[in-house]
Amino acid sequence: MSLATLTKDWAATSYGFLDASAKRELRRKMLKAIAVPGCQMPYASREVPMARGWGTGGLQVTLTLVNPNSVVKVIDQGADDGVNAASIRRFISRVSGASETWDTLEATIVQSRHRVPEEIMRENQVLVLQVPNPEPLRGVEPNISIARQMHADADYGKLWLTLYEQIVRKGRIMQGAAYPSMVNGRHVMTPSPIPRWDVPKLNMSKHLTILSAGREKRLYAVPPYTRVEPLVFSDRPYLVEDHAALTCRRSGVSGFFMNELPQDGGGSVFEVSDSNLGIKAIDCADGAPDAIGDTWYRNGEFSA
Amino acid sequence: MLTVAPPDRLESRSNLTFEALMWALSRPGDVRSLPEAGFESILETLVDIECTAFADTPALRARIVASGATLADRIATADHVFVSTIESAEIAEINCGSALYPDDGATLVAAVPHEGQRLRLTGPGINGLIEVRLALPPGFWAMRELLCSYPEGFDCFFVDGASVIGIPRSTKVEVL
Repeated sequence: MSLATLTKDWAATSYGFLDASAKRELRRKMLKAIAVPGCQMPYASREVPMARGWGTGGLQVTLTLVNPNSVVKVIDQGADDGVNAASIRRFISRVSGASETWDTLEATIVQSRHRVPEEIMRENQVLVLQVPNPEPLRGVEPNISIARQMHADADYGKLWLTLYEQIVRKGRIMQGAAYPSMVNGRHVMTPSPIPRWDVPKLNMSKHLTILSAGREKRLYAVPPYTRVEPLVFSDRPYLVEDHAALTCRRSGVSGFFMNELPQDGGGSVFEVSDSNLGIKAIDCADGAPDAIGDTWYRNGEFSA
Repeated sequence: MLTVAPPDRLESRSNLTFEALMWALSRPGDVRSLPEAGFESILETLVDIECTAFADTPALRARIVASGATLADRIATADHVFVSTIESAEIAEINCGSALYPDDGATLVAAVPHEGQRLRLTGPGINGLIEVRLALPPGFWAMRELLCSYPEGFDCFFVDGASVIGIPRSTKVEVL
């Protein structure tokens, strides 16, 4: 063994920004996360040129997966053109040479904050979700050591209790986003703050989902064809947001998750949250060929 | 304007290897291709100074030492285990982690021909069921069943040349 075999040539930057040891750690942890679906795996969470809490967890996973042939889509609440999404996408392509896209069907890696695209993702796509709070038990157990023990014991009684209390107090389950869901019948995870509308898209999906919380330094995964069941009582069916009858005022599509825009003088109008779906619908109306792929929801009903 | 340095050879190989391993583990039973035959690309993708690794060949032991990882003298203390022949009695002491820390469970990388015994796999990552052939010594799967008390357990990569099949602890294996 010589010094030359232990060192490598000088380079101004590492490919994909993260250094090799950071990537090896993430790779080890991602494999363990896939092996135990829904179980939170701790990792070191390196510094990236972005504030913690702005998607650094998702960014680190994407930077580990990315190569020059990747096609990256980044969305923030469904929109490709949000400041956060655009900056992350530009950063990824600058440090890796990967292509950028707005089209869910073209992407190989979709990094998302708080939404799952409306078009069905394929077998070879990876969905990377940014997670602010990975611990579903935080609301009922602030001590993370005890929460870890509760996960080890599959002791989720307190989560059921919060859902029960919401029904007793309000008459319905008030949990709007980050709905606690049982993965592979064993670990309860928070699916990141995606709306209830999006949780069924993770159940028995074709794509791989990796959820990563940079500030909290944990990642977990939902492999393809894995059961993801929202916690519900047998006599209270799981309800998604009541958006089936709403129509987007710009693109005219209906039956998808909408953003509500309150109007002066009361009332609201709606715009489709998955902005690229709206763009495709507008292009189609303008005479371009219909580029919208199969969607998880058809006529407002989940049907995949 | 910043220009992107292309990935060096190590990074390209690690990226390809990880992609093969990730999809192999995400879809148990699917055969994925490593960029090159053998364990070396897997070792350089996963093992570094933070790991304790075991290998049963001198060449791989030298690679482990060069990677900075601690060389384990027994399988029990290793978090990454590279074996060219499976001795069930030795594998039986592999680290399976705990319910508190399932990520402590070891990764087993073994040279196993993708032929012989028919197995039926079910579980996460598999749409219904899938059948594979793996030439493992009799008793291996019974031992795995005994050790892997989900979420405790160990995760396997069975390498045949440049092909790899992943079987995570979450997979149920039925010997046909």
